[in-house]
Amino acid sequence: MAARWSQYKRTWYFLRRNTLAMVGLGIIVLFAAAFVYGLSYPASSSVPTQYCATNGEWPPTASNPCYDAPNIICTYPQGTVPPTANCYMTPRDNPNFIAPTATLQGGLGQFPMGSLVYPAADLSSSDPLFYNTYTMLVKGTVNSIGISVLIVAAGAGAGLLVGALSGYYGGWVDEVVMRITDIFLSIPAILLVIAVIIVGKSSGLVTFNTTLVLIGVAFVIVWWPFYARIVRSQSLVVREQRYVEAARASGASNGRIIMRHIVPNSVYPVFVQMSLDVGTIPLLLAAITFIGFVLFPYPLIPEWGSVAAAGASVLTPVFTQCGVKGAVCAIPWWQILFPGLAIFFFSLSVNFLADGLRDALDPRLRR
Amino acid sequence: MRMWVYVVRRAVLVIPVVIGVMTILFVLISSLPEVERTCSFYHPSGRTSPCTTTIPCPQDPSKLCPNPVYQSAVDALGLNKPIFVQWAIYIGNALSFQWGYVAQGSALGTGETGSGLPSLAGQSVATVLSEFLPYTIELSIVSLLIILVVSIPLGNLSAVYRNRPVDQASRVMSFSGYALPAFLLGSFILAGMTFALGGPAAPSAICGGSSTVFLDFFGSWPQPPCVPLYGTANIGPVGFPNWLTIGYISSPTGFPTVDAAIHGQYYLALDTLLRMVLPAIVIAYTTIAGLLRFVRNSMLEVMNQDFIRTARAKGLPESKVIKKHAGRNSLNVTITVLGLTFAGFITGFPVVEIVFNLWGVGRIYAYSVVGGVKDWDFGVLFGTTLLFTYLVVAANIIVDILYAYLDPRVRLG
Repeated sequence: MAARWSQYKRTWYFLRRNTLAMVGLGIIVLFAAAFVYGLSYPASSSVPTQYCATNGEWPPTASNPCYDAPNIICTYPQGTVPPTANCYMTPRDNPNFIAPTATLQGGLGQFPMGSLVYPAADLSSSDPLFYNTYTMLVKGTVNSIGISVLIVAAGAGAGLLVGALSGYYGGWVDEVVMRITDIFLSIPAILLVIAVIIVGKSSGLVTFNTTLVLIGVAFVIVWWPFYARIVRSQSLVVREQRYVEAARASGASNGRIIMRHIVPNSVYPVFVQMSLDVGTIPLLLAAITFIGFVLFPYPLIPEWGSVAAAGASVLTPVFTQCGVKGAVCAIPWWQILFPGLAIFFFSLSVNFLADGLRDALDPRLRR
Repeated sequence: MRMWVYVVRRAVLVIPVVIGVMTILFVLISSLPEVERTCSFYHPSGRTSPCTTTIPCPQDPSKLCPNPVYQSAVDALGLNKPIFVQWAIYIGNALSFQWGYVAQGSALGTGETGSGLPSLAGQSVATVLSEFLPYTIELSIVSLLIILVVSIPLGNLSAVYRNRPVDQASRVMSFSGYALPAFLLGSFILAGMTFALGGPAAPSAICGGSSTVFLDFFGSWPQPPCVPLYGTANIGPVGFPNWLTIGYISSPTGFPTVDAAIHGQYYLALDTLLRMVLPAIVIAYTTIAGLLRFVRNSMLEVMNQDFIRTARAKGLPESKVIKKHAGRNSLNVTITVLGLTFAGFITGFPVVEIVFNLWGVGRIYAYSVVGGVKDWDFGVLFGTTLLFTYLVVAANIIVDILYAYLDPRVRLG
């Protein structure tokens, strides 16, 4: 244990001398602070000022469903008749979704982060909550970072175990496991994740506030083969080492050899891959929520990508409709810019750190 | 090993992978509710009443599609037979491109509001995908050209001038490109160009067909995509790429640029190409990171080889050493990576195609997962996944064979 501790200390020493990695670490600390802030942020921050009913009828019925009347808006005065059913207007179907205050006049306008209200799904609540853009971003920080860390941890854990077993035993076990990873790796990751999510949702396995869990599970199903590959190639080398031979000679069981020798010694490249993936998964997650913006119809999942998708979905019609230069042109640019920047800086800093980590762990790359 | 032995061996190894992929998809499809499997996408005239995410489909399939349709679906899919027979039937269907039909109640089946897309309901999924694939291939080629032109010289330069400003700049570029979400870059390039060059158009001008700055960069066909105000106007299939079967221009190849050129419409061909430039830049910028790094590393590796030292020792000018000796040799590996990047490309860029309103296969895929008002389109969803898997697997084989051809040592293994 002491030897391993000193190894960590040496890695930290090399890492500390890498400026970019330290910049990355600094930004990550800021994100961690935002994460804590988001955790303690009040769950529901605003009361909806407008929501949809169906042709003026409430509640919606089977013959008069909410979603089939996309252009009818019922504006309730603030404080009256709160919605009782899970039925809201999707921004992309709602021409008045861009609130009148949200204007971009002559290039720069107000900054109405609080003007748009989304019904949002939250793990902690079985009823939709109401978030404005700012709250969506704050809660999105918790969800996006939290889910990517969990996905990477679970995926790496599963991959580590499978990869170590496959590399250690070799033979037909190895052959079977590697063919299975081949199969998973030849399906484009995003598509498989979306397919798993949709099948999960249509089978009625999930309710709206557990969609996030489903997304996490889908990602882990897709993600473990990458780690299994890395660990397997590493443990192929490790199992030929003298200390493994010595352990076997002294009568250690296969399980003990794997847990005490193979896994700890194959884990370093996994660290690097994990740190890279923590930066990649928010990007993929955003792409998925962006593609299937209406895949998770309503309530929205508070996640960076879904805010951006809500903004971008009105971008095109607004752009095409709004008049000539100088006219009032309501583009919710902050909805695209801020989640985009959050993803960008998070991914960037994680990559800086991962790059520094790789340099610090690989003696050949040290300068 | 002889070349053809290697090729055959490589091709045979693919079979279990493809069957495995189909098995995964079969498991997913089998866990769908029976109503969806039988009524939704099996039959061209599938369901009669759409169900949405708010009104669930009736449990009884006969309420969703007429009983003969339901029965024929059950018979054809072998739903009353053992599970492995169903599996074999699914694999047969997957291999023979019988991927189902566009569902009646889905976004693609009803024609999505505001997109200008007419209903594709009842069309075979394979046909629909084959119509939209050529545009994505063209877009991929344009993006790949941009990547080639940028990444090889820049990667070589940053290897030659290691840790100097050029190297740092390329590092910044690759890091930022990797971390930048495509929707952010795409939206802001589109908005920026529009505002910089004169602002968006007045509503009347758009559907009147006159060109505006915004529309110069927007949409996958010269005809302005007419986005009607929600629910007010029904303008018909304007903006729907008319190289498709419903279009009035015949399309011998399916590739929009090539078709336009064949018809002598050189302006259309040029316009189609120009519209690809901005999306291609976004795609190139967000995917170039890995490639830049790869070119740089392989160049660095080659630069340390003995024959480079020999070339320098015999007094060749440095430019010649880098261009002729190092550059050529590092290219071998780079080509294979480019091939794999291209394979990843053909699998579509849903996000970019959504932002720029392009009608490629990625956008069709995106519309298949539009829920909410509409129903999910399982046929298109799983069909696209199958198509992309075929493409990736095929590209892998081609790249491997190319690599074995370029570097005979690979064949020995």
